[in-house]
Amino acid sequence: MDFVVNIEVFATRFLGIFIEAVPFLLLGSLTSGLIESFVKSDDIVRLMPRNRLGAALGGAFLGLAFPVCECGVVPVTRRLFSKGLPVSMGLAFLLAAPFMNPIVFASTYIAFGFGTVFIGRFVITIVVAVTVALVIGIFAKPGTVLKPIAMAGGGAKHSHDDHDHDHDHELASLRDKLLHAVGVASDEFFEMGRFLILGSALAALMQTLVPQESLLALGTGNVLSVLFMQLLAYILSVCSTVDSFLALAFVNTFTTGSIISFLSFGPMVDIKSTLMFTGVFRRRIVLYLILLPFVMNLLAGVLINLALGY
Amino acid sequence: MSAGDNRIYWAKLLILLGMGLYLTQLIISGNLSNYINQRFGWLAYVGAGIFYLLALVSLWGRIKPSFHAHQHYRIGWDIVLIAAFPLALALLIPSRSLGIAAINGGISLRPVGVGNAATFARSPQDRNILDWLREYNRAAPAEFNDLPVDVIGFVYREPVHAADEFMVSRFAMSCCVADAFPIGMPARAEPIDEVPVGSWVRVQGRLHAANFAGELLPVIVVETLDLVDEPEQPYLYP
Repeated sequence: MDFVVNIEVFATRFLGIFIEAVPFLLLGSLTSGLIESFVKSDDIVRLMPRNRLGAALGGAFLGLAFPVCECGVVPVTRRLFSKGLPVSMGLAFLLAAPFMNPIVFASTYIAFGFGTVFIGRFVITIVVAVTVALVIGIFAKPGTVLKPIAMAGGGAKHSHDDHDHDHDHELASLRDKLLHAVGVASDEFFEMGRFLILGSALAALMQTLVPQESLLALGTGNVLSVLFMQLLAYILSVCSTVDSFLALAFVNTFTTGSIISFLSFGPMVDIKSTLMFTGVFRRRIVLYLILLPFVMNLLAGVLINLALGY
Repeated sequence: MSAGDNRIYWAKLLILLGMGLYLTQLIISGNLSNYINQRFGWLAYVGAGIFYLLALVSLWGRIKPSFHAHQHYRIGWDIVLIAAFPLALALLIPSRSLGIAAINGGISLRPVGVGNAATFARSPQDRNILDWLREYNRAAPAEFNDLPVDVIGFVYREPVHAADEFMVSRFAMSCCVADAFPIGMPARAEPIDEVPVGSWVRVQGRLHAANFAGELLPVIVVETLDLVDEPEQPYLYP
């Protein structure tokens, strides 16, 4: 096929993913900016549950308070870590929040109604997020989870621990706080946008070069279909707010377990979030953050398939 | 602020403004439908609005030095260049919908994801290619004999097709081009090898169950075939 033509197809596919995702990245960045301006670290420390299980469970539902999709969740998580959020709570939030929010509830409901897929996605998301958060929280030594920059709350200009308190005094008026939030959002957009752009480019490249038919041929099989849909979710990196509609396209040819695994695994981990993870977590933790959800979602999908009797 | 920081500031401002303008241009020109399902068109408005807001506040911070708008991360040229990549693609490569060139590996006669489709009672003349393929899945090919067909799509041919065989094709899309897949209806028309593949055509004719590329299928026996412009909505939405 002609090189120029391939470039055109790539451009269309890349821009399609980018245009669909960028508003959600912007909303996530704004949320992150608002948290930076308005949430005091004291509040977080005061409100957080004392024990680890409580923290992980709380983190899994924290998305209801901070509605972000997967493009926006990493900057918000990083921001919350810099505000003193406990590690297991932040991890559960990171994994669960892209689904656990009103926008994604709505899109999943519109696509699938209130049935097996919706409930399956809900339950599996919580179980996986809490388990992974607990496992990493228990077995990782404190201080080996986050990159130093994520704990310090930003770049070289802000290395002091009392950074947040300084700001609370400086930014007295509401208007200043709002302007500050937008300024932070803008930096956040550039910082995280590069991962969205690189991930979209990778997904578009694969779609342009690998025949779709050969992907679709893998449709059935209790285990294979789940494996395949998780890999697809990983590669496509489509935003959690719209992935339900994408999954609809596979409903007839793929097993229900694989659809649910696609929907619960995809928002947790994909190409672009992997790239974003590397900006927040140390390398070993990034590996666990990919492998643990992958294996758990795989098991869940296969179990659902067996229970439904394919 | 050093001279380097200064240049990065303006580059960032330019990108924020440029992205807002790009989304606005997509909305105004209608090219947005080349990329995402029109159902999600409002996303582009949200995106453009936030980009303008970010740009304005960034400018405000420059005009009013008392406003505390410092950088929180070290945004270097690498990040700025990556952020400029989508704009560069948008500027340098003409906006195209997915067409014949995006088909790598054949066309689907059985569109996936039709299970949840609401049953609809469209008359045969009003059905588009997606509607027809859904119907094809429901009944034996011979049951469609003599039904009138009037559809728009692009011409697609494979090496296995006989001289008069082709497919009238469209891309079906659920949310954005990431999940777009090609679908097509088998058709027969006499001088079809004179029509270049990829051309948009309006095909009118009647269905007749016949052997097509080794399979018994409802095949459009074309009565009239007109070259047409690409439709404003190039994709079909399941």
